[in-house]
Amino acid sequence: MKKKYSMPLLLASAFILASCAKPDNSSDTLTIMGKKSDMEKSYMTSIFEQYESASGNKLNIITFEDEDFETAATEKFAEGEAPDIFMHFNNSDLERFDVSENFYYLNNESWVTDLTNSAASYCQDSDGNLLGLPFWESSISGCYYNKTLLDELGLKPATTQKEFNVLCQALADTGYTPICWPADGGEWMYQFGLDPIFADNPPLLDKLNKNQTTYYDIADVRKMVQWVSDAADKGWFGKDYLKTGWDDISPAMNSGQAVMTFIWDTWFYTDFEEGKYSINDFALMPAFMNTTIGGVYEGGNLNMMMVNKKSSHLEKALGFLSFCASEKNYNTAFDGISTIKCFKGQNTIIQSQMVTDAQVSISANERASTAASKIFGYSQDDVAAAFDSLFRKNTDVDGCIKLMDKYRIGEAHKCGIEGF
Amino acid sequence: MKKWPGKILLFFVTAAASVAAVLIGIYYFHFISQRIYEDSAVHLEEIYGQVNHSLGAFISKNWGLLDSWDDYLASEKDAEESDIYDFINEKRAYWGFSEFYFLSYDGTYITLDGTEGIMDLGEAWDSLMEQKNPVMSGGTLSTDQDVTIFAIPVQHGKYKNVTFNAIAISYTNADIADSLNVDAFFGKAACFVIHDNGNVLLSTQPGGNVFENYLVYLNAASDLNKKELKQIGSDWENGKSGLLQCKIGGVNHYILYQPVKYQDYILLSVVPQNAVSAGFLSIQKATVCVLIIIFLIISTLAIALIVLYIQKQSRRNKTELAYRESMFNVLSNCVDDIFLMLNIHTQKAEYISPNIERLLGIPAAEAKQNIRIMEKCAINYNIVIPEKELEAIPLGGSRFWECEYMHQNTGERRWYRMTVYHLDIQNVKKHIIVLSDRTLEQQTNHQLQEALTVAKSANEAKSNFLSNMSHDIRTPMNAIVGFSVLLEKDADKPEKVLEYTRKITASSHHLLSLINDVLDMSKIESGKTSLNVDLFHLPQFLEELNIILMPQAKAKKQSFEIHVQGSPPEKLMGDKLRLNQILINLLSNAIKYTPENGQVTFQIVELPQPTQQYTKLRFIVQDNGIGMSEEFIEQIFTPFSREISSVTNKIQGTGLGMAITKNLVDLMGGIIQVESQPGEGSTFTVELSFALPEQEQTDSEPWFHNSITRILVADDEEEICLDIKEMLKSEGMEAAYATNGAAAVEAAVLAHQSGKDFDIILLDWKMPEMNGVETARNIRMHLGSDVPILVLTSYDWAEIEEEAREAGINAFMQKPFFVSAFQRAVRPLFHVQTAETPAEPEPADETMKGRLFLVVEDNELNAEILTEMLDMEEAKCELAVNGSEAVEMFEKSKPGYYDMILMDVQMPVMNGYEATRKIRSSHHPDAKNIPIVAMTANTFAEDVRNAMDAGMDGHLAKPIDMDTVRDLIGKLIGRKQDT
Repeated sequence: MKKKYSMPLLLASAFILASCAKPDNSSDTLTIMGKKSDMEKSYMTSIFEQYESASGNKLNIITFEDEDFETAATEKFAEGEAPDIFMHFNNSDLERFDVSENFYYLNNESWVTDLTNSAASYCQDSDGNLLGLPFWESSISGCYYNKTLLDELGLKPATTQKEFNVLCQALADTGYTPICWPADGGEWMYQFGLDPIFADNPPLLDKLNKNQTTYYDIADVRKMVQWVSDAADKGWFGKDYLKTGWDDISPAMNSGQAVMTFIWDTWFYTDFEEGKYSINDFALMPAFMNTTIGGVYEGGNLNMMMVNKKSSHLEKALGFLSFCASEKNYNTAFDGISTIKCFKGQNTIIQSQMVTDAQVSISANERASTAASKIFGYSQDDVAAAFDSLFRKNTDVDGCIKLMDKYRIGEAHKCGIEGF
Repeated sequence: MKKWPGKILLFFVTAAASVAAVLIGIYYFHFISQRIYEDSAVHLEEIYGQVNHSLGAFISKNWGLLDSWDDYLASEKDAEESDIYDFINEKRAYWGFSEFYFLSYDGTYITLDGTEGIMDLGEAWDSLMEQKNPVMSGGTLSTDQDVTIFAIPVQHGKYKNVTFNAIAISYTNADIADSLNVDAFFGKAACFVIHDNGNVLLSTQPGGNVFENYLVYLNAASDLNKKELKQIGSDWENGKSGLLQCKIGGVNHYILYQPVKYQDYILLSVVPQNAVSAGFLSIQKATVCVLIIIFLIISTLAIALIVLYIQKQSRRNKTELAYRESMFNVLSNCVDDIFLMLNIHTQKAEYISPNIERLLGIPAAEAKQNIRIMEKCAINYNIVIPEKELEAIPLGGSRFWECEYMHQNTGERRWYRMTVYHLDIQNVKKHIIVLSDRTLEQQTNHQLQEALTVAKSANEAKSNFLSNMSHDIRTPMNAIVGFSVLLEKDADKPEKVLEYTRKITASSHHLLSLINDVLDMSKIESGKTSLNVDLFHLPQFLEELNIILMPQAKAKKQSFEIHVQGSPPEKLMGDKLRLNQILINLLSNAIKYTPENGQVTFQIVELPQPTQQYTKLRFIVQDNGIGMSEEFIEQIFTPFSREISSVTNKIQGTGLGMAITKNLVDLMGGIIQVESQPGEGSTFTVELSFALPEQEQTDSEPWFHNSITRILVADDEEEICLDIKEMLKSEGMEAAYATNGAAAVEAAVLAHQSGKDFDIILLDWKMPEMNGVETARNIRMHLGSDVPILVLTSYDWAEIEEEAREAGINAFMQKPFFVSAFQRAVRPLFHVQTAETPAEPEPADETMKGRLFLVVEDNELNAEILTEMLDMEEAKCELAVNGSEAVEMFEKSKPGYYDMILMDVQMPVMNGYEATRKIRSSHHPDAKNIPIVAMTANTFAEDVRNAMDAGMDGHLAKPIDMDTVRDLIGKLIGRKQDT
């Protein structure tokens, strides 16, 4: 089953009262607002129960159906009925809630150092302010490769973009398809290259979102598009990549026809079907798209809990977040959940061996999911359409970038984003 | 021995030369490639020998550095850590290594800045720690960083409280690459330091190293086979050098390996062939290009020569073929045979002689396109290219069919014998079709058939003729014989004798006409008829014609009128007798085949004069008689043809008259046409041209001498009036006309009252209401007898003459009107003096009276008749029975004794011609002058000519007509007297 990347980042989070935290003595009720389906996650209910049990406070869980959530929540904020705690992804939709006006910056909270770099980065605004506590399940995206086949070919994974290029050519020379690149259904891949450009340079992202610059003006975007174009021309995506879609990834990978692909770890548990090669034959290295020397891993989209700075229960709300960020509490909540870490101290989650083995590299090269979630007007389909035009030689690199800009700006304008 | 055709030989020679050239090229290419390989090998070995040397130096240098630092550490055991740090850090900055390590026996390390970790050197660890050897090894740090480690065992010491047993420095691959400076071949070369098992220790590849084991990789990516790979592995294990070529990823590469001096390392170089041999390859390419160009030039020249030769041959062949085809086309155009070459499989004609268009009206190109187009003109469809039957013809055999075609355009029918030959022409089966023209043969057969039919018909006709003639001759002969018997019996009865004599004469004349017709036809058919052109007087001619025919018409109570339209010349040059014969035939027939009370008209129309020397007249004979059927009209001019009907059976005739007429008209260069409907009558039209005699001065003075200037003409036919008016006008007279009697009377009275009487009044006899006699009577009542009145009539005026003269008519004129006749009629009334003023009244003809004739006649009966006739003319004769006797009698006679000799032609002993020649050549004084007249039944023109040639002066046809004899003798004797 095809799975869009905007959806796959599953994050486990638990809302656990830290056993060491000292709850306010007075009993009170905190309101928490979020999507219904989000609030029903097991680790969420677990942390809620732990908190109520430990603090004696009550939690008023306000939920909306997923499709109504953005509108209903916006209305609540507009009507002065903002909750004490608001749960939302740090994506472009968050802008409508006037973040700086409504939410408390958590930079100085004690638990911040326990956050993984990727999770912390994801939850920050463009100025580096921590907006919320990530409490979600997630996966790690990168370049998953057939390590068995690589060994058989006398090759080893790349650690740099240059090595990756050498590796691709070496694989191509052996007759294997270096990268399974499902052009007809691989909309998510392009953001891997864009993530480090904007994650590593928040002001640039801010300028882009204010329509003060374009992809066309950004050299790294051109480098990425050029690399993809060259890779296609050199045959690194194989011969039939234009016809290759989501359903073709698994057969290509399990047969050994293709050696590498840009995907996320949970894909191996949801869509990969064993063939000549099984999950144990695969390993993870960074995805290389010529926008960073050491490659990139894309962290998941994380749901985070934000505190209403105008809340009459501000202290209790901050206390609730600290309860959740307690190692004991979150390990209780996420016990047995397949995810990657948001907190460094997470030790009850189930993490794939591929991710575990690449942990050092991930720590060094992981970027928060930035392009898809934080660029206004970004659309996986639009970017894929621009690249499709490039692959079919209907346009060149510059034309492809202009198309990306055109689609992005058009979508932002359509959504009424200021500046577009 | 079989001789190879030139083209095949040429082809094989060219092919062999090409193959040889290609083989030489391949050999040369291989030679060049080998040389390039060898040169490249030398080039590579030189370069990587230097690299290997540099690597050795690099290793030695690093171990040397480590040794020197070991010495430093040993000598400065008490030195401060900061001093050591500064010392080593200074060296690192200078020598470019990445890190310095203090290695412990347990595998841990500590860096200068105190970072601790584990170093995995694999097998090299034992060599370092246990065997106390300096090592160079790839190592993986706990940071997952791959580095190349140079380490030496040292005396144990301490750094930052960590005991170490060895020291080491590390380089990244990039560092080493920079140190070794292996950037030859445009950065396309890869250089590795590998273990003898293929594991890559380090790589100088610009992009870094992703190769774990290059032997394994070669197995996967190159085209080297297992044996070659095994050999490589063996070489590496044994520390041997090697150079080979292989393809990696489809690109030719050089693989060069050389043992490094230290440990069991191998320096492996992988270089794309085009990078190494770029220069050589360009030379190779240039050389090959030159060779190819030379080969192409030579090939082009050879091909051009071959093509020229072939074209020349082809042109020669084409010329020869065209010549043959032209010759064949000319030949086929000269004959009426058609030739086709047919492909039995395609049923298409590969060749068709061009005369097919001329003969059948089918363009050859169209027939070639579709042979079945011939079916259009085939009359017997069954045999048009009969496919099955064509296929049935055995190879080498032939078969023929008779067929008939019709020309597409002209409809002309042609007969052919279609012969089909089944042949094998250069292993291709063809059908050659020859359509042999049989048209002439067929037409000849038809003509023969027609001739046979005609002959049969002629024979039948002649049989009929003989039968008819037998009847027709016997009939008058019967009368002659019968009446002769009766004459003898009733000789004493003058009335009977007179009657019998008249009937015998009539029968004789009829018999004579029969004979004349037969003879005429015979003459015409034998082509012996010739014209005797002479001057004749048309009005006199018509008058004579009228005299002859009028009685016949009158006898049958028919009206017979002669009309003249226009003013034809009165004097013409022509054969009067033949013209007379033509018109007598037509008019006699008209009268003959027109019942009693019928109407026969004879019209002479003056046609536009073709030239000044000729005039053209149309003679129209029209009757309202029995007419003729259409079928008979078609053969009316065929000899011996007579229409058989109940009417014609009663009419005597030879069936030759019209044939003679037609032939005579043809002879005179005229045309004759006939229109007829059974029961409605017939119209014969004859058009003839006559030469005009030299123009004579028109004598119009007589009219003026007698003051005759105004004439009144009255005729109910206005055309006649106008014609007369026109003719008179040409004589300088003015004519008025009236179309009926009353009008004529009125005109005459008016003229009289005005004091300008007409000088002559010319009246038609038969006019409606008031005829000419009555009109004259009326005119006389008013005018008195001063003005002469003439009656113009086509009829015999004898019966009305008395009444007419009483009515005041002064004279009569025969129609048609002619000026000359008018003059003759008027002359007695005015005593007109004309050039033709006749002499005194003719005295009685005494031309022959008292003359002595020498009659030469072998036939006693004829001699007796002639003697009697001469006696009737009061002439005498002496008789000779043959030419010899006549000659003798003449020669013996006294000069002037004989007045004339009447000479028969066909006689025994000596014929008339010979006798005449002898008389003319004799010495008798009268030999040259005495008139000799042929008297013979041979009446043809050549007979007349022969007579003249023999010296005779005239020719009389038997039976003798005394009038003719009298005229001729008169002329000849007159001439004799003149001489």
